Amino acid sequence: MRRLRGLGVVCVVVSMGANVGAQGQFLANTALPPQPVPADNPITDAKVRLGAQLYFDTRLSADRTVSCATCHRPKEGWANHGTTDTGIRGQVGGRNSGTILNAGYMHFQFWDGRAATLEEQALGPIQNPIEMGETLESVVQKLNAIPGYHEQFEAVFGTAVSAATLAKAIAAFERTVVSGPSPYDRFLEGERDALSRAAQRGLDLFRGKGHCLGCHSGPTFADQRYHNLGVGMDKPNPDLGREKISTLLSDRGRFKTPTLRNIALTAPYLHDGSEATLLAVVEFYNRGGVPNANLDPLMVPLALSEGEKSDLVAFMEALSGTPPVVEPPALPPDAASAGAASGGAL
Amino acid sequence: MKRTTSIEQRVRTERLIALTTLCALFVLLMPERAEAIPAFARKYGFNCTMCHSSVPRLNDLGSRFRDNGYQLPGRENDEKTVLESAPPLAVRTSAGFDYVAVSHDSGATPRSGVELSGLDILAAGLLAPDLGFVLVYTPPLPADVRGVAEQEAGLEMANVVFSNLLASGVAVRVGRFEPAYVAFSVKRHLSFSPYEAYGTTFVGGSPADETQEGIEATAAIGALRMAAGLVNGSATNRRNDVPADGYLRLATVLGAGEGQLGGQRLGVMAHYGLARPDQTLGGGERRGFVRLGADASVNVSHWNLALQVIWSRDDASLWAASAAVATLAGFAEVTYAPRSDLVALARYDLVRMDGAAGLDVARGTLGGRYYVIDNLALHVEYSHRQQNGHWLVGRGGQREDAATARLDLIF
Repeated sequence: MRRLRGLGVVCVVVSMGANVGAQGQFLANTALPPQPVPADNPITDAKVRLGAQLYFDTRLSADRTVSCATCHRPKEGWANHGTTDTGIRGQVGGRNSGTILNAGYMHFQFWDGRAATLEEQALGPIQNPIEMGETLESVVQKLNAIPGYHEQFEAVFGTAVSAATLAKAIAAFERTVVSGPSPYDRFLEGERDALSRAAQRGLDLFRGKGHCLGCHSGPTFADQRYHNLGVGMDKPNPDLGREKISTLLSDRGRFKTPTLRNIALTAPYLHDGSEATLLAVVEFYNRGGVPNANLDPLMVPLALSEGEKSDLVAFMEALSGTPPVVEPPALPPDAASAGAASGGAL
Repeated sequence: MKRTTSIEQRVRTERLIALTTLCALFVLLMPERAEAIPAFARKYGFNCTMCHSSVPRLNDLGSRFRDNGYQLPGRENDEKTVLESAPPLAVRTSAGFDYVAVSHDSGATPRSGVELSGLDILAAGLLAPDLGFVLVYTPPLPADVRGVAEQEAGLEMANVVFSNLLASGVAVRVGRFEPAYVAFSVKRHLSFSPYEAYGTTFVGGSPADETQEGIEATAAIGALRMAAGLVNGSATNRRNDVPADGYLRLATVLGAGEGQLGGQRLGVMAHYGLARPDQTLGGGERRGFVRLGADASVNVSHWNLALQVIWSRDDASLWAASAAVATLAGFAEVTYAPRSDLVALARYDLVRMDGAAGLDVARGTLGGRYYVIDNLALHVEYSHRQQNGHWLVGRGGQREDAATARLDLIF
């Protein structure tokens, strides 16, 4: 009887433990849900077509050499393989270009989160003196002077070009830049062979010894927060990241958690592009980041073996879905031109 | 005689059935690898290796998690209490084949068989933000289930932790807990053979490997780790006196981490108190004791070297009515974990007790664990213990050889 009681206790405890489900406090890395779309900027075909033209149009920059696609190139994972951005007149920025892929899922934009929405984000680089070096007034004036744009804005928004409608058109296009299901998504759907054995071991490491899930959680593999990994904090005048926006000392050296979806397509990595490969990034984490006063407490040395590092890389490589194929559209010509302008170089 | 054999066979069979049922339940309720995770891991959706280098040993993050009152450091605002998350329950047990042979000059007494080592039921979590708790209950288990002596019911651990008091990294733990003067946890170590340096004491003394009742404050400032506590020596305190033993521990970590897998940790401790007379030996006057210890945890690649030295002085031994007894004890343990599912260990324990007690203990342990899944390990271990000069066994000494092959699971 006492034996039965003992076993009974075990059964109850085991059952309680086993039935709570796999969903923990940190969101599981599920498939991407439907993308949130702001009520004041619904997606329409005409608006997306307009946004695509603007995305590829170098006339949005002061010297007509830089478009959105200059830094966020469709063929480079909608980011670019340069360490940091290069803007007008060859000026070099301080941060690596983030991918546009699935950007509509992010709760805030830019590495330091200074834009809350894609609409806000779209106007940022235009006014950045290093990137496109324009003013909104000047860009609006330029676009209104192009008959093809003027007509399209009238048709889509019922008004002439304005900063707000310009932002809405670009954001609407960017919301269509969504990757298809990755091998990991197919694995979740029950296709057990979609992940190699190495990638499956990497998945275990991702949720455990690698400490990745502490930040790269949820469908986007990003917790929509800011963290200090110590990147660049050992250098003179380090990039202070989120602190520059929030003015909080606790935000010193913190940057947005980037999505890991399609991460294999968007080398180099980290906010300053300082790590060239995924393996180098894993090595960086394996060392525990760079010590500094505000280092995230989840950053500790991981003692990963060489095989485990490779497994983690194999898993991250399985997070790439098929990116949309977008060719540069024909652009409306300047008023004085006869033919259509073409999109900027990709 | 025949009847006895028949009863023994029946008991053995029932024990095997019970163990098989336990394992079958575990396997049946484990739909896939990632879900076979215990209480904390279930709460967060992590695998065990997030906080354990090799279950049950903590890694650097696990160490921070524990010190932060069972909250993920840096994620305190996201934490859910026990009412908002999965039931914070877990069970730990191990079962398998044990062989033990204790030999004296007069001969050896070998024993072997299938044994259930015990059963711990653990509950832990947050009662409120910055208010954590942990409770480890050992239910009663009769001898015929375990295969060895019965397990008495008891609360091995029950405490609450107030964390982030006044400043980040400052916590106070109240209740029954494993004190910080134990540099290498005896509750989470990898071998089944005990740390002799923590467990050996003179008769009536308070062994360091027992949980204690009292209060402990801890603080982490930069690389410095501090702990101070008052406990009542409850392992031998039959009268449940007010806390009277005090201790202080200081440690520092060189490099990143907490010295578990990353960084190099150096620590010292001082422990002073009153030994409780053993009532079974007729009681007696309380005697003071002092322990001074130094420890180091050295990490190189996938190797860890754990070193502990403790010098102690007891004002008088209860059984010998002699003058003070000084003891020097320690151990060196090397673990090698080339992969997350494999760990090997080797340890040498040594105790030298002078004076009339004259106790010498030496133990060598070799072992390894292979994790079939994160929280189910196949454990093999061999340990040889040599004891000389103890008052119970005479100068002739006592030797013990122990080997085990068992499954150790926590779920």
